[in-house]
Amino acid sequence: MLAAISAATLTGTVGRPVSVEVHVSNGLPGFTIVGLPDAAVRESRDRVRAALLSSGLPWPLRRVTVNLAPSGVRKGGAGLDLAIAVGVLVATGELPPGCTEGLTFCGELGLNGSLRHVPGMIALADAAAPRGLVVPLGDAREASLVRGDGARGVSSLADLVRILRTGAAWPTIPAAVPSPPPPDLADLADVRGQALGRHALEVAAAGRHHVLMVGPPGSGKTMLAERLPGLLPTLTAEQSLVVTRVHSAAACLGPDGALVTRPPFRAPHHRASIVALVGGGSWSLRPGEISLATHGVLFLDEMGEFPVAALEALRQPLEEGVIRVSRAGGTVTFPAHFLLVAAMNPCPCGEGVFTGACACTAAARARYTRRLSAPLLDRFDLVVPLFRPDPDQLLDGPPGESTAVSAAKVAAARGRAAARAGGDPPLHPDGARLLASKLREGALTARGLHKVSRVARTVADLMGAEQVGEEHVCDALTLRTARSTVAP
Amino acid sequence: MRRPHPAHRSIDGGAVTENQDLPEEAYAAALASVPKIGPATLRQLLAAEKPSEAWASSSYPGDVARIWQRHEERGIEVCWRGGPDYPDRLGGDPDAPAVLFCLGNPAAVNRHPTVALVGTRSPTRYGIGVAAQFGADLAAAGVSVVSGLALGIDGAAHEGATAAGAPPIAVVAGGLDDPYPRRHARLWARVAEQGAVYSESPAGVPTEKWRFPVRNRLLAMLSDVVVVVESRHGGGSMHTVAAAAERGTPVGAVPGSIRSPTSEGTNGLLADGCFPVSSVADILTALSLLGVYLPTPTGAGEARREYDGPDRALFDVLSPDPISLDQLVRATGLDLPALCGGLERLARAGVARDVGGWWERT
Repeated sequence: MLAAISAATLTGTVGRPVSVEVHVSNGLPGFTIVGLPDAAVRESRDRVRAALLSSGLPWPLRRVTVNLAPSGVRKGGAGLDLAIAVGVLVATGELPPGCTEGLTFCGELGLNGSLRHVPGMIALADAAAPRGLVVPLGDAREASLVRGDGARGVSSLADLVRILRTGAAWPTIPAAVPSPPPPDLADLADVRGQALGRHALEVAAAGRHHVLMVGPPGSGKTMLAERLPGLLPTLTAEQSLVVTRVHSAAACLGPDGALVTRPPFRAPHHRASIVALVGGGSWSLRPGEISLATHGVLFLDEMGEFPVAALEALRQPLEEGVIRVSRAGGTVTFPAHFLLVAAMNPCPCGEGVFTGACACTAAARARYTRRLSAPLLDRFDLVVPLFRPDPDQLLDGPPGESTAVSAAKVAAARGRAAARAGGDPPLHPDGARLLASKLREGALTARGLHKVSRVARTVADLMGAEQVGEEHVCDALTLRTARSTVAP
Repeated sequence: MRRPHPAHRSIDGGAVTENQDLPEEAYAAALASVPKIGPATLRQLLAAEKPSEAWASSSYPGDVARIWQRHEERGIEVCWRGGPDYPDRLGGDPDAPAVLFCLGNPAAVNRHPTVALVGTRSPTRYGIGVAAQFGADLAAAGVSVVSGLALGIDGAAHEGATAAGAPPIAVVAGGLDDPYPRRHARLWARVAEQGAVYSESPAGVPTEKWRFPVRNRLLAMLSDVVVVVESRHGGGSMHTVAAAAERGTPVGAVPGSIRSPTSEGTNGLLADGCFPVSSVADILTALSLLGVYLPTPTGAGEARREYDGPDRALFDVLSPDPISLDQLVRATGLDLPALCGGLERLARAGVARDVGGWWERT
């Protein structure tokens, strides 16, 4: 009276196959689960029993032992309910032994026998057995993104038993609910003035340069940052899958379970915990905001208010594009390949030194900027000063260029960079001379030089220039002028 | 109480090393380094005796040789009242420090008329621009600019004054071995190289709060005219103004907006009868009333107005009032790379200047 059913569990954003072994024997009636289950798995005893009875299936009045193999890996979540229920049915002879061969079962059971959504379906589908997997009907679309026809959806335990007994056809997976029209992406046309801010966005989007905007409240930092995703190109198929997998594992995919195709935009609040930012948790490691922003934009508003430890935790992902989260339960690697956009006030009162209204002491200002370590500040290629727009510009100024126009420029620039395939465009002697003089003056360090040249290349690409000229270098230098304001 | 080797006493009073032939300056530095001796005591001690005699007749602990070595290693000159390097213009002042430390040339302050440009540490763009321009124009006219190397107005004035012309003079509060504020370390070195940085504090003394008013008084003593560019009500510049007023030194103030908190102090000074400063010529006039005649820098304005280069159109949009890049984009219709390139060329030609992200004509 033994059954072994394939299931899968989630560790970080990676699915791991789990074998659910069910043994039914004579003895005092009871139900035990072994193999490092977490609380949700242990509670599945009651759900499984109730679901079987509600579906008109008998519950064995015998001793039921469930082992989750490999027994050394911690298993979490309610996704193993379905596999346990099927295992009990096979072990008690309610289902023919061969019918579950090569199938993986994932799903949470309701007490009435219905199947409920499980997060991380894409990753679970990766770990599914060769014939495919059986999941709640609502999750089938998501699973089919990676398993195609191998993904099967059922809406209740009773349906599943009927299909497995009779070999009836699997229900058709519902077509993608036409996803609600994308929420009106904020358009750049709403931004009046801010020539430097807009330009910085285009350069950031074209060359994947991290941006830090420094300006007083009301200068449009947040408004600009929210419009950056609109300038980024649509995700490639590969990126799309990576993003969808992470979002699926964090259970923040849309209700239709469709692929994420637009670059995500995440804006965690400055009081968010470090774990919420970089990912973690005690046993079931969850991706954090920086992973949810992968291939998209991570916006840190009021960067000066974030805990220093949280900011320092960004350094590894900014360099390597991944974040490794280590816990007693193991280490997982989450993707974290994001474009960082940060905004901060020039000083605690926000007015900045040059307006004359700043009431901060020099010491308070120094304390404020000291939160940004030099290595972190070095990750920003663009450190842009923003000022409040003039009232006349705000009231009567013409609307700025729309997102569509800017996005086209960015796409063209990215195209030019890609066409060079890594080769650098030539540096015009004038540009080289300017860089050399800045280096000699001490206005640039070696690292600064490298960064300015990189940005200048992007600017040249944006302008459609064949070589990096003096004005492109000047532009790149202008795009980091606020560095002196925030450098500790 | 006399001791056998007065030059080298450890705390317990025993002789540490053999006496070598140390100059008077070494004893002056040692006396100034004794924490118990304040500026007034020091003046009293050195009023009648030479530093070596004053040291010998006192019983303060301290290793003269080591103190002297510390100053020599860092190139810090020590001037004592009565010594050869002591600035002439301090000679007649009863409150002048008895021992003065200096980086650079201690005689730099003697050669040219001096004007102090002082002001707040959190200035507006306007204040920065005015300070930098006055600094540059005064230096070009042959006036040594005196300032405190602090953040804000002081720094901007020295930035302007180190460009060319008469040697810049700085007066700082702490020891000369440790630039303060750190952000101005490079500027500090440039001032020391072209002119002089003075302090009443020996090497190794941290910049403490009470030393700033003392510094401000010395600043006033070293200056023929004091000009306050921007200051809040009751700002630190008022110490300098008070010290200048005590000595009958003319004080000028740059008028500012009645709405700007950073001009409260200066506008108040004008109401109190300080002379208004709206151009370098006003400062030069004040100097001429003291008997220092300097030709007003001629033609600078005209020559600049006639600037005729490739970026003429851009230059015409700039004015002495700072203008943001945003406004420049609107006024010229240029895209940012072209605009930045043009501004860089104008800056190199010396006719435009970047003030904290804004641009103005010089």
